[in-house]
Amino acid sequence: MKELFFIFFSLYTIAAALGVVLAKNPVYSAFSLILSFFGLSALYVMWGATFIGMIQILVYTGAIVVLFVFVVMLLDLGSVVTDHSHSWLTVMVSAIAVWFFSLLMLRTFNHTPLVAPATPLAESNTRLISQLLFTEYLWPFEILSIFLLALIIAIYALTRPDAADKRKVHP
Amino acid sequence: MTGLEWIILLSKLLVIYLTIVHVVPIMIWVERKGAALIQDRPGPNRVGPFGLLQPVADALKFLVKEDPIPNSVNRVLYAMGPFMTLVPASLIVAVLPVGDFFEVQGKSYFMQIADINVGLLYLLSISSLGIYGILFGGWASNNKYSLMGAMRSASQIISYEIPLGLAAVGAVTVYGTFSLREMALGQEGTFLAVLPRWGVFMQPIGFLVFFISAFAETNRLPFDLPETEGELVAGFHTEYGSMKFATYFMAEYMNMATISGLMTTLYFGGWHLPYLTDATLLGWLGGQRNLLAVLQFLIFFFQSCCLPAHFRLGALDGAAFPL
Repeated sequence: MKELFFIFFSLYTIAAALGVVLAKNPVYSAFSLILSFFGLSALYVMWGATFIGMIQILVYTGAIVVLFVFVVMLLDLGSVVTDHSHSWLTVMVSAIAVWFFSLLMLRTFNHTPLVAPATPLAESNTRLISQLLFTEYLWPFEILSIFLLALIIAIYALTRPDAADKRKVHP
Repeated sequence: MTGLEWIILLSKLLVIYLTIVHVVPIMIWVERKGAALIQDRPGPNRVGPFGLLQPVADALKFLVKEDPIPNSVNRVLYAMGPFMTLVPASLIVAVLPVGDFFEVQGKSYFMQIADINVGLLYLLSISSLGIYGILFGGWASNNKYSLMGAMRSASQIISYEIPLGLAAVGAVTVYGTFSLREMALGQEGTFLAVLPRWGVFMQPIGFLVFFISAFAETNRLPFDLPETEGELVAGFHTEYGSMKFATYFMAEYMNMATISGLMTTLYFGGWHLPYLTDATLLGWLGGQRNLLAVLQFLIFFFQSCCLPAHFRLGALDGAAFPL
């Protein structure tokens, strides 16, 4: 039964991901991205990582893709006309990509079972993550948050309008 | 799962979900009649006694009216927009606890469709999916004003998700769990033998923040900018006809009902009546009590729907961060 769910959700995620790449209209791509994140979240929850499954929807689908969609909607891109010619460079790069991907697949299938382990966790996944996050991994957690703060400040500093621009706008 | 468990699950599903759906016509009547009384005018009084059949008339109208589809819209996303708001609004209902538990053949079942142990996270994530219906619907309408209304509404919703989430995290910290049922259970008993141990008394600031953000999340006044009739024609649902517009409408009202349900669960003790403590009997009564509390909130909403003024656009998002 669980194998059935896994096959269904992984095929669904792959189909949605293909939709992202193959859709002609960028808004359809963004929509397929949302669908693929749902599939991913379902897979996470199936493997027992309920916290990450919910955070996937909350953060990725609920915030990051919203930003994508905002940008795509405000830029009137229209449908893309694909250029079907393939140079030798395209073929070579595709071959290398396929090779790497198949290596990854072989390694994964040899080492990972198809469904979640049969023994359930002692406490809930969220509780375990939070316990680890605030005891063993506290330093990385705090340093990451300061890092993110530095990133935000840097982005603001790079994108804010200069005082020179202001003088031009209001003569 | 045995047959009995299936039957209980399906009946819980039907009862709880259909209750929230049936609240929508009641809310339509309360809003129109209540707004009318506050504004010193009669309101709907033609259709039934006190206009009580007005929602029925509205529903019939929506069913029978022509559903226009403008020529230049993006068909797929235009048709899907309303349902992308309706589906998350419906999914949230699954984790709201409406009562304690009831016993059938010696086994006790929770009065909740699904008690997920990350229930609050589920609720926050699914409610943030409601944005897509608005965004895609507004964009697919191929209309500058719809797009602007959609962007304004979406940016308002995502700005106010932050205070909403922070207030909810306050509740998580106090009760030590993400599960909504356990949060409601943590509000039993009294504090200093005088106040019931409800969230609104234990965390008044959190309640205030949540209350204001809830208005913003559901696009109700005073956060009515996406639908301001004086500025944009009708916001993101300008181009939508009868049944699709009705779906957006229904989704907005169901969102209000579920957020007020969440408010009762986090801040008003869930199903706990103020000073009583007995478990099982309270379980049966408590189901009704939680629904009463939800209705109580809806009346709050409607009272405030007509009184305050609109926020100016820039002030709205600027207010989110200090909040």
